[in-house]
Amino acid sequence: MRKKLFILLLTVLMVAVLAVGCSSGEEIGQNYNGTNNDSSEGETGEEEIVDIEVWSVNEGFKEIDSGSPLYEFIVDEIGVGVISPYVEWNGGKGYTNQLNMRIAAGEMPDMFLPYNGIEYDLAKNGAIEDLTDLLPEYAPNLWELIPDEVWDTVRTNDPTGEGRIYYIPAIRDYGITGGMIRQDWIDKLGLEMPTTQEEYVDVLRAFKNEDPNGNGMQDEIPTGGRENGRWMDHLFAMYGIAMFEGFPDWDIYDGELTNSAVTQNMRDALEFISELYAEGLIDQETFLNDKQAWDGKINSGLVGSYFHWTETVYDRLPQIEAGTGVKADLPVLPVPKVPGYEGFYSHEPTLGPQWVVKSGMEEEKLMATMKFLDNYANQENWEDMYYGVEGMHHKIIDGKRVLLPEDKSTQQVMDVIKAYNHFSLIDFKSNLLMEAVGEEQMEYVEQGIRNMEENQKYVKVIAGNGMPESVYNDYPDIRSNMIYQEYATKIILGEYPIEKFDEFVDRWYETGGEEVTQRARDWYDKLEK
Amino acid sequence: MGKLTYNMRKYWPLYVMALPGTLYFILFKYIPLGGSVIAFQDYSVFKGINGSPWVGFKHFTSLFEYPDFYRVLRNTLVMGFLRVTFMFAVPLILALMINEIRHSLMKKGVQTALYIPHFLSWVIIAGIAFEMTSLSGLVNTVRGWFGLESMLYMQMESYFRPIFVLTGLWKDAGWGTIIYLAALSGINPQLYEAAVVDGASRLKQILYITFPMILPTAAILFLLDIGNFMELGFEQVYNLLTPMTYSVGDIFDTYVFRTGIQQAQYSFATAVGLFQAVVGMVLVIVFNKLSKKYSNGGLW
Repeated sequence: MRKKLFILLLTVLMVAVLAVGCSSGEEIGQNYNGTNNDSSEGETGEEEIVDIEVWSVNEGFKEIDSGSPLYEFIVDEIGVGVISPYVEWNGGKGYTNQLNMRIAAGEMPDMFLPYNGIEYDLAKNGAIEDLTDLLPEYAPNLWELIPDEVWDTVRTNDPTGEGRIYYIPAIRDYGITGGMIRQDWIDKLGLEMPTTQEEYVDVLRAFKNEDPNGNGMQDEIPTGGRENGRWMDHLFAMYGIAMFEGFPDWDIYDGELTNSAVTQNMRDALEFISELYAEGLIDQETFLNDKQAWDGKINSGLVGSYFHWTETVYDRLPQIEAGTGVKADLPVLPVPKVPGYEGFYSHEPTLGPQWVVKSGMEEEKLMATMKFLDNYANQENWEDMYYGVEGMHHKIIDGKRVLLPEDKSTQQVMDVIKAYNHFSLIDFKSNLLMEAVGEEQMEYVEQGIRNMEENQKYVKVIAGNGMPESVYNDYPDIRSNMIYQEYATKIILGEYPIEKFDEFVDRWYETGGEEVTQRARDWYDKLEK
Repeated sequence: MGKLTYNMRKYWPLYVMALPGTLYFILFKYIPLGGSVIAFQDYSVFKGINGSPWVGFKHFTSLFEYPDFYRVLRNTLVMGFLRVTFMFAVPLILALMINEIRHSLMKKGVQTALYIPHFLSWVIIAGIAFEMTSLSGLVNTVRGWFGLESMLYMQMESYFRPIFVLTGLWKDAGWGTIIYLAALSGINPQLYEAAVVDGASRLKQILYITFPMILPTAAILFLLDIGNFMELGFEQVYNLLTPMTYSVGDIFDTYVFRTGIQQAQYSFATAVGLFQAVVGMVLVIVFNKLSKKYSNGGLW
């Protein structure tokens, strides 16, 4: 009898646990809504604060939850409550997964960064708001911040073909990436800034063999890049290859819009780079370097020439100095001349979509979203948004705000309000940098600003700029550059002879490149009109 | 029917205890199984299962017509074969070896040391593998001592599969011994005593007592495992893969992730999943038949 009672008790307990487990989700939801109501009720007399849920990039920082310091900061600054739950970014893959899942469950965030061309299907199905009439009226700051020709591109990208605006693009008014080179090494070895490919290779060779860092060891890495053949665009740039952070891009080749991956330019570039690799002038671990590993090599002063945002030298120089005691000089590398080619660093003034807004929201929420967009695009707020919350993102020293070092365990994610990154304007950035720093960092920042300006001499806006991701729909291997990366890395490593490049071109077209190219050209024709 | 109700009345606590488990399977396994129909639709999250158009075998056709289908299939089969062979054999041998350790503290220590890697995620293990084989890593340092040139194993096609097997074993072989060790501890010690009296050596004892006694357990584990033949574990392969090793390491799991999940092509992803499951089921049925024929034991 006793045993039976025990079994009964156990069963009841199990069922109870099960029941609690199943309903806990609901409870969280209720709490969540509950706090919303509380906060809005509490502030009677003042303007009512409406919360919106916003998703964007978060590479490991803390979420923005209701009532947290950054939440309050955004309420003060923008007048809208922003909730941004933690979503693992993981190179965009984790984010896409979770976002797709939420959309499939009918729980789309109110406003979010679309990724991987997801906005195409959403707009087609009426799941995101048509912003054409809303923005000029309710978010004039944003409307005017983005140039008309960029809005035209966005209209061309409307999947319904009616020229409506479904997303807010990110923009850059200056070419942000370029090659860089250690001028102090060049000077030390009594060389000159290279202007041609031949001279550049000679300089790299000298970096490797003549011990420019003077430690008696041959540990210098003349140049290199990262895994998947990324972030070594400077080696491709001299062949006139359109490329975005290592992804081949679209430009006019032989009079027609073509993906640079399948051009003669690419073939020649790969042949050249494979020679560099064979001679040991490229980091032998290039294709195994993740961001951390490659940044580590640059920042510890081992790398002679690399490709990245030219302005961020202000971040690298102090690290190089701290590690090696050398005051480095890292100017922009003028694109080395190659006979028969017109080299340039690719510049994309219109980046992909930054925000889309859920359709069918309550009036109140929609207006809050518009208010967010308007105030966030207001440049008067940008400086405050740059510094974030006092005590968390910056501290005040001698009456001046100083950014605290990045700390993912204590800082809340700022990307949602980083308008100055979503809409990169050279004037704002250089002013901000100049004002932001103290005396001791001035020399580094000056190099950064010099690079920003200098780099504009070598950049070119590529023809495929602003093309929607949707041209790749149904052809994921083309979109992900998988075939390109496989052949490019193997050719560079010398595992494939350059003749294999022709096989790659065939395979690329076979796997969907044909169709994608057609779509891209159709898009381009439409844009030209 | 009368017998069932009689049994239910008599042993009702057992039935009540089985209820949560049954409910779990119905709720989370059988009902979602119905969702597989989207493999035959052009499923759109906005239209739902009822509103999405039926397209028959379109997604299966596009899977078989994918230019790299044979490459993906070949890689999956080869790696599936390697995994089943090694992940079946090594834990079994390991369990027999651990079983022979007489010093109990030593035995526990070895067991624990072998389990621990199981609790690390693939991201970490892949990170360790990349680190160990880097230019400044352990492997190349040792090569340096012998005057050998450095090799970057992670970007060499010929080493991808061995690394796949080695990391798999390192992580899970120890974990796989648990059930074997439990089965081994259940063997009647009288058998060994009788064998000792008959003058059997340790090796003979293993060969004629331990091994035959553990074989039914091994057969069941093998059958359970073979059903997942096509599902190699996405995380492991994905984290070890580089563009240089796509040609030998791209499998269905990575292919589906790329084409189905990332692009929100749920119908296609489901079709591939269904294909994998059918192959797995056929294998289970075939091997179950074989097992029943040759070792008078099987799953059912």
